[in-house]
Amino acid sequence: MNRALFRAMMKQKGKKIAKLSTGIILYETLLTWVYPVISEHPAVTEIAESIPSAVKTVFGISKDARMDTFEAFISGQFFARIWAMLMVLYNVETANELLAKMVDDGSLAFLLSTPVPRDEFISTQALVLLSGNALLALFTLLGLYGGTYRFGISIDRWKYFCFGILGFTFFSFIGLYSLFFSALFAEGDLAFSFAAGLTLAFYALDVAGGLSDRLSWVRKLSLFQCYQPQEVLEGTVDPAWKIMGLTAGSLILLSFGMYAFDEKDLAL
Amino acid sequence: MEEKGFFKGGRDLLEVSKLTKLYREGRGIRNLSFQVDSGTAFGFLGPNGAGKTTTIRVLMGFMKPDCGSARILGLDCWRDRTELKQLISYLPGELHFMEQLTGQEFLDLIEGMHGECKEIRQHRVHLLSSLELDPRQRIRKMSKGMKQKLGIIAALMLDSRILILDEPTSGLDPLMQKTLVELILEEKKKGKTIFMSSHQFSEIERTCERVGIIREGELLAVQDICLFKQKERQTFDVEVAEEADADFLRQSGLTLYPMGDFKFTILVAGEQELLWKTLAQVHVRRFKQGSLELEEAFMHYYRSS
Repeated sequence: MNRALFRAMMKQKGKKIAKLSTGIILYETLLTWVYPVISEHPAVTEIAESIPSAVKTVFGISKDARMDTFEAFISGQFFARIWAMLMVLYNVETANELLAKMVDDGSLAFLLSTPVPRDEFISTQALVLLSGNALLALFTLLGLYGGTYRFGISIDRWKYFCFGILGFTFFSFIGLYSLFFSALFAEGDLAFSFAAGLTLAFYALDVAGGLSDRLSWVRKLSLFQCYQPQEVLEGTVDPAWKIMGLTAGSLILLSFGMYAFDEKDLAL
Repeated sequence: MEEKGFFKGGRDLLEVSKLTKLYREGRGIRNLSFQVDSGTAFGFLGPNGAGKTTTIRVLMGFMKPDCGSARILGLDCWRDRTELKQLISYLPGELHFMEQLTGQEFLDLIEGMHGECKEIRQHRVHLLSSLELDPRQRIRKMSKGMKQKLGIIAALMLDSRILILDEPTSGLDPLMQKTLVELILEEKKKGKTIFMSSHQFSEIERTCERVGIIREGELLAVQDICLFKQKERQTFDVEVAEEADADFLRQSGLTLYPMGDFKFTILVAGEQELLWKTLAQVHVRRFKQGSLELEEAFMHYYRSS
């Protein structure tokens, strides 16, 4: 890791992280503020339970999941889709900006004319990406802890913390395959297309698999199988193995990315 | 590491041998071979798209040669690129920065990536004051000239023993061009080795001892700049006072083109001794120096190849 590069990059990405974090915290505050009102109304639970399972799938809610808990509410309203989309977009875009776009616009020329090896350069960029993820996951948890405390909603904080770790590793994995494509193609548009296309394909498989029993097997092909917020928050799924698997996968992706970038011809 | 380089490299600091790098569409460089001696300045001259930047990309270790080799101080430009970059200052042809940073932050970054040291900081302060750049401004808000100054400072503050400059004066106003040429000459005086590409003969002429001419990826010639100067042709417009002076000029052996009554254009190639001796013996009414045709000698390569 190169400290000077890390500092400069974090400074560049700091605004984006701050804006996203503020948005996340405000939205969480809104959700935790309205939840006590909604939960006291029995009709809301009845409506929620009457929703067809296919529709639930589209919104990232498991078929058999309960609908009357805060975990079900926060997963359906935020973690399953909105947070996931925000984090996916942040990772795919930032990974592209940290490498391929810098090749495209030529700003990498000065940086690669320094005696910092390419593998150190890409590992620093990866650390910038992961640090952004860690900060976003941290602010998401802090926003939620603050909101639930303020509006008197009781939660199991440890389970939320575990979910935060799962979110961090899951989205970091997406970020790192995006960075791998950036290193492999060294061309912004192509790298973005591959990273976004693959993520969209995983998402489509996840949704398609939930729509009918006949297609349920395709869900197993989706990376989003590792990301089940409601189950983790309710404690019905232990995320430990998924976290370990995603971490191992991330390390492998990073080493592939380092190799690809080291061998790449760069038209700077 | 420098010692190691000297032992391996000998007198030639930079050595390119049968270097080929082709892009998918077929353009690139083919079979280039040349050497640059330590402490000298080498100009790499050619029109846009000739292969100058591709050669520099290989020298900087941004691209791997298809075949042949490029070595600096005996170290391979691709394999040993990290070690070599401790010795090289590089100014890219097209300057692009991380626009959100201020000039100061960018210079801090480059300094930090070179392993912060006191000397770099001192050079930076000196260059900032001599180029009159306020680095506190965001790069995004800087003018093109300011960005160019920032790039020059980022490259020269490192005080590396080798300078690789890709079309350093391109896009600069004449005043800045002059300043940059002076800075390059200052670096040369310190014994730096300079490799500089350009499509302008004048800046190569002012800074370099040797020149390589490249066209469509092939090296046409590598020559001492003084050899070019021997082929220098210059014109002078002269008006003499009377017929006797005109006759004297006609019989002097100079190459003359009559331009009217007692008016001539004199063409001189190389030494100008005869011209001045002849003019000393006639009554000159008007004298005007014509265009410098040194560039013609260079253009000759493009026309005849």
